[in-house]
Amino acid sequence: MHEIGIAASVLDIVRKEVGARPGARALVVGLRIGDLAGVDPESLRFGFDALVKDSDLEPLQLEVEYLAARDDLDVAWIELEEP
Amino acid sequence: MNSVVPVETKVLNENQRLAMALRERFARAGTLVVNLISSPGSGKTRLLERTLELLPDGVHAAVLTGDIQTDADASRLARFGFPVRQITTGGTCHLDAKMIDRHLEGWDLDELDILFIENVGNLVCPSSYDLGEHAKIVLLSVPEGEEKPLKYPSIFFKSKLILITKADLLPYVPFDLGVARKNARSVNADAEILLVSCQTDEGLGDWMQWLSSRISAG
Repeated sequence: MHEIGIAASVLDIVRKEVGARPGARALVVGLRIGDLAGVDPESLRFGFDALVKDSDLEPLQLEVEYLAARDDLDVAWIELEEP
Repeated sequence: MNSVVPVETKVLNENQRLAMALRERFARAGTLVVNLISSPGSGKTRLLERTLELLPDGVHAAVLTGDIQTDADASRLARFGFPVRQITTGGTCHLDAKMIDRHLEGWDLDELDILFIENVGNLVCPSSYDLGEHAKIVLLSVPEGEEKPLKYPSIFFKSKLILITKADLLPYVPFDLGVARKNARSVNADAEILLVSCQTDEGLGDWMQWLSSRISAG
């Protein structure tokens, strides 16, 4: 169950990106996960939702693109609301 | 105004950065580093005990052994006269590069020919974390069944060597070696596969050869 740690790393990356854009708010973060990455998307979603709830990033959403026969584990994009 | 910003960052970027720094240190020092991964009870500690016993004179080895609780494995491995450190993760199901970095403190890598890392018993989480090792080695023990490579493809995909352990139990349990090899090959066509037993010493010569050829190359 290392997915909580992975979810925390995702949120760190989101905070860094948002922090670099004054006034911006993250709405959705898009991940790319290969089925050989050793990450269970459902556990990741559980950890992600638990960490986002009541945090500065609420109501950030998670979108996962799941890829066959690959070991990717990347934050691909973030959808932002900017002033 | 909404906009989609490309990020393209590895989620485990921070671990990856540390792992790359460790890999450079190991390369500079000429230390071969292997990361042993398996489910609990597949024989990682037993294999290390036999390996430390069989290491040729003059080879300087050290062991970092990870467990969620207890220093039982470190006590078992310390009997052989090599430096051993226990990494007690306190609940975390894998080792990461930061833990390795912290537990190397005070060791002179220049004096080490080989560092064994015994990961926490777990076939899933350790596969995601680069520790700066030269090779991940996955152990699959005969009683676990030949389907493990298909059930846990990530770690079999990322390992350079697959050790099928407890070969002495082959006559007693339903385990089809041919199917196990085929399953492993279907996930990772390039990995070497060795069959070993620490009870009968079957295959340990090949395993020691695998290690020593890489030590001298390093």
